[in-house]
Amino acid sequence: MRVAAVYYDGRNAKAHPVTLCLEGDKLLLQGKDVVRRDALAGLDIQPPLGSTPRVVLFADGARCEVADNRGFAELFPAADSRVAALENSWRWSGLALLLVLATAGAGYLWGLPYAAQNLAERIPAELAAGLDREVLADLDGKVLQPSGLSQDRRRGLEAKLAALVLPDPAVRPAGLEFRASAELGANAFALPGGSVVVLDALVELAEDDAEIVAVLLHELGHVAGRHALRQMLQASAVGLAMAWYLGDFSSLLAAAPALALEARYSREFERDADNFAAETLRANGLSAGRLADMLLKLETARQSRLDGKFGAGLDYLSSHPNSEERIQRLRSQ
Amino acid sequence: MAQHQAQPLPLHFSGSGSEYFRLWIVNVGLSIATLGIYSAWAKVRRNQYFYRHTRLAGAGFDYHGEPIAILKGRLAAFALFAAYTAASSFAPTAAAFILMLIMALAPWLLVRSLRFRMHNTSYRGLRFAFRGRTGPAYLAFLLWPLLAGLSLGLLWPFAQQRMAAYTRNNSSYGSAEFRFSAGAGAYYAIYLMTLMLGVVLFAGLMVLTSILGSNGWFAVEEGQLTAMSLLLAALGTYLGLLLFAYPYVTARLQNLVWGATTLGEHRFVANVSAYQLLGLMLSNVVLVVLTLGLYKPFADIRLARYRIEHLHVLMEGNPDDFVAGLQADASAAGDEMAEMFDFDIAL
Repeated sequence: MRVAAVYYDGRNAKAHPVTLCLEGDKLLLQGKDVVRRDALAGLDIQPPLGSTPRVVLFADGARCEVADNRGFAELFPAADSRVAALENSWRWSGLALLLVLATAGAGYLWGLPYAAQNLAERIPAELAAGLDREVLADLDGKVLQPSGLSQDRRRGLEAKLAALVLPDPAVRPAGLEFRASAELGANAFALPGGSVVVLDALVELAEDDAEIVAVLLHELGHVAGRHALRQMLQASAVGLAMAWYLGDFSSLLAAAPALALEARYSREFERDADNFAAETLRANGLSAGRLADMLLKLETARQSRLDGKFGAGLDYLSSHPNSEERIQRLRSQ
Repeated sequence: MAQHQAQPLPLHFSGSGSEYFRLWIVNVGLSIATLGIYSAWAKVRRNQYFYRHTRLAGAGFDYHGEPIAILKGRLAAFALFAAYTAASSFAPTAAAFILMLIMALAPWLLVRSLRFRMHNTSYRGLRFAFRGRTGPAYLAFLLWPLLAGLSLGLLWPFAQQRMAAYTRNNSSYGSAEFRFSAGAGAYYAIYLMTLMLGVVLFAGLMVLTSILGSNGWFAVEEGQLTAMSLLLAALGTYLGLLLFAYPYVTARLQNLVWGATTLGEHRFVANVSAYQLLGLMLSNVVLVVLTLGLYKPFADIRLARYRIEHLHVLMEGNPDDFVAGLQADASAAGDEMAEMFDFDIAL
């Protein structure tokens, strides 16, 4: 049988229409101004690749293209490759799809948190502290204003915190930072390096210092677990992967799903931090209910703010989901 | 237009999304099953798929990269990256040293990678070639980008022009040389236009928010309307540019670069529309996200088709004569060059 092909000699770009046929263990190539016989063993018969033309490469750089895939397969039945057979089958590509999805899911659910935790534990303390200074400098003047609390009040709170018995002395915050913020309202948060920022409105909202200490202990729980750092590492890993996958188009769009995927972690981290706070409160002769009292107060304050003014902005609870569930858990401890 | 008839020959792309999806997923699956080793073979098949489906005047392109060479390049890149990560957690000084080493090696690696890619691309049985020397590569790929960074991006269009001129002026197909004629001014024009679009967008948003704000469309405190409008307009402009600037600059750059490129006496023309490219990229990103990444092969095919089919070759005379004068370049066929092409760092 004969198959139509196009031949290029590899020295000139001119196309030669030819026909191919087998002559024993030789390939006979015939055209108007070219005839060659080559031993099959010396030819590079390229495996099929989708619907692309079949290609035969000659040892001297010449090349032959065959658009007729079926004719080519009849001529060289042995030239099909295993990979091409997998690629052409919906069943095998479906299996490959399952394997890819399973691997990606496992990597996201277990691999990523594990890697982030390991990496977070290895980040040197100085580096983390430097990170905090940068974050604070960035926030100061934008959403954070200087605190209106008196020196005595601040010293008092610092002393209260310092006097507590902590499960691991190493988890003392790198520093307690006092700020005020019109946008963030009653709030406290841990920075990646271990500093804890307390906002004036939270101090004013609290009935007594024990409630403030309870919230600070919750934040210390985040510090102890290096939650902020882990969250940051995970989010940036997911963001980087997305940006790479989407082809560097618009980092904004790449970051959006990354943030959505990362929201899941907050709840686990909250529970860890609550447990840490509850245990430490008990160890210091205080009730875990104090944290619950404070959470309830924050929830009420948030409701009234939401009712009162449109666009009240972020507050402590909107970044800490499921407050009702948390309050009940703390009360029952 | 030139006096003689230059015949515009379009490039065609015949790849299909569903066909490529199977190829892609099987290759990703095999790469996972072999702990990444197969990824070098997957890359060859992927490139061959796109090259062979790209056709000009009835003939396809082809890719000839050796998987082993690609694997070597990937292992080297992986080793460097691993060394950097390990060092950065234990010895920051060593990490900084490795980073400097990578930067100092980058132009040299880029030249080798360009040689690999061009030498392994063929059309009608003739190879492309890149013969840029390493010295000028350090100017184009290291000095100018560095100066662009130091000048806060003011020199970036200039650096980009130097890079394009270096890569194109040192490339050839068979015995025909590529030439690049765009000056830095044309690059500045593109970025200036982007800047102007930003200014227009900002002014428009400013007016819009002022009108909406004074009609009570959003809550604003007494005397704060200008400040609020300024903030909203700045935010809108930032988001707008983030979204629109990339496809706009990409489209204009492709048109500029091809319009300024010649191969022998043949010219090229690209007519990518920034507007259509934006629509294509946006819908691609949205679909990829909605399908948890599974739309990616379809998106790649769509983008390749759009870019390839908006490129034409302006041939001088008959396409058959076009090929008659093209010969394989004797110096590129020499065996001593072969060992130079054993490395590809492009991941």
